[in-house]
Amino acid sequence: MMNLSMKKYSTILFLFLFSCVYSQGTKQPTFKKRVLESTEVDFLASYYVQDGSKSSVSGGIGSEKLKDVASNITVAMPLNDDDVLTVDIGISAYSSASSSNINPFNSSGASGSSNYSGASGGGDDDDDDDDDDDDKRVNTKATTTGSGPYGSPWQASSGASKSDQLVSVMANYSHSSDSRNFIWNSDVSFSNEYDYTSVGFGGGIAALFNEKNTEINLKANVYLDQWRPIYPTELHEYSKYGNNFLNQGYFSGVTVYNENGISATEKYLPTKFKDLTLTNRNSYSASFGFSQILTKRLQLSLFFDVLQQQGLLSTPYHRIYFADKTNFFIGQSQFISNYESSSNSGVFKLADDVERLPNTRFKLPIGARLNYYISERLVLRTYYRYYSDDWNIHAHTASIELPVKISDKFTVFPTFRYYTQTASQYYAPYEKHLSTEQFYTSDPDLATFETKQIGFGVNYTDIFASAKIWQFGLKNVDFRFHQYERTDRLKASIATIAFKFIMQ
Amino acid sequence: MIKKSCLTLFIVLVFQSCTVVKEYEKEKINDVDMKLAARTAEKYETTFQVYREAAAGANGGKSGGGCGCN
Repeated sequence: MMNLSMKKYSTILFLFLFSCVYSQGTKQPTFKKRVLESTEVDFLASYYVQDGSKSSVSGGIGSEKLKDVASNITVAMPLNDDDVLTVDIGISAYSSASSSNINPFNSSGASGSSNYSGASGGGDDDDDDDDDDDDKRVNTKATTTGSGPYGSPWQASSGASKSDQLVSVMANYSHSSDSRNFIWNSDVSFSNEYDYTSVGFGGGIAALFNEKNTEINLKANVYLDQWRPIYPTELHEYSKYGNNFLNQGYFSGVTVYNENGISATEKYLPTKFKDLTLTNRNSYSASFGFSQILTKRLQLSLFFDVLQQQGLLSTPYHRIYFADKTNFFIGQSQFISNYESSSNSGVFKLADDVERLPNTRFKLPIGARLNYYISERLVLRTYYRYYSDDWNIHAHTASIELPVKISDKFTVFPTFRYYTQTASQYYAPYEKHLSTEQFYTSDPDLATFETKQIGFGVNYTDIFASAKIWQFGLKNVDFRFHQYERTDRLKASIATIAFKFIMQ
Repeated sequence: MIKKSCLTLFIVLVFQSCTVVKEYEKEKINDVDMKLAARTAEKYETTFQVYREAAAGANGGKSGGGCGCN
């Protein structure tokens, strides 16, 4: 049904664009202006914090505390009158309570130190049992008596997976025609995290018509990504040692408790878990954009993306607890009765499996921007997007920004963004899935929720770029601060500052 | 469905009737705040939204790949 109506709208849109382009013709400019006058450098830095109580690493329960510091530098260089090369380099570093609990079991306490690198720390998910690897595990395994291993989904562990860095590089080359009415560009990108690498490439074209009142652009990108899966410690050990894993390696001699807090007579055996065989993730996207100046004060753009993803679309360290399976715990048994409370500081439930999701996903987002110049002091910027995919997620996004020019150099802009989505058909909350299901996730990011994001920005612009650092003049400074709140109680804040320098 | 089709047709007809704004009349349209794209400083906001929400794309930026997010 959706595809049928989508086709209909696409046909109407195509007919409109076709008629629009050919009804008004094009005119050549009388002179050729340099596309980019001089080298521009954008420097961007942000600080992000969040907290919530539905950690997907702990199966939909537990701390989602996370801090992320990111910075980015973009250099745009004119190669000649027509060509511009843009290079973008970014790095971000995060620390996360949630991902630290890939291995939550610290022999010296949930927040204490641990030498064990484990599945989360070492990421040693290969199957070869080389001696070095075994030595590392035996020598550093959790102690089994007295202060035995314990952790909690509500506290960060000291495992190596508590932090990671993302490095990204992107280069884009663009060429404009002499008339400046046609532009093509191509890009390549690379990014790397501890357990994830992405290589991307793509290209696009843009055509301007009607004395540059109308713009159409097409873009296509391919991302060839590779996971290096890291599994929750207990599942990693099961995978490595098989049915007798509780007597070997990390869990050798460790007491496993049942729900009543007594040493379990029934054996914990996550038989549903199998190592993931598919570890690549390919994304193919095509974007269509249309912009139109409607009046001297009003302009609009429409975006239509088609995105197909294939491969490993689940996250290998997201735990699942089945409702129809017996529960087993490691840690301090007195905390079992209040496992789901944040007062639990000493016990962790052993996973039944990791999340399983289909290896294809088809996404269809359609968006629009409408900007209106109200007065010399006030502009209205709006954005709307409808999104749907074949995991049964439907989402609406709406945002509004009201830039107010308080002087020649300063603009302040309050912003508000609203977002709502329906849950994926594969989502169920903590311990609600059944082991008979084929696909399952307790990732709260795939649940039904609404979010509100409110904030403000301050912009300083000096068109003469009179403040200088070396050969670069400071043209622009943008500061933004936003608070984000989800109906499932996840809260986040982000502060960003951006500087634009121009070579003089 | 009929309502939606009529609305789409109405929008198409409205756009068709737009007058061409000449270059020398684009002072307001060319205002930096009128740009039909996300601001540069929004980059990291978009990134965290892509992580925390299922929806992505149709904002003129990256719509997939490059991170372990959904």
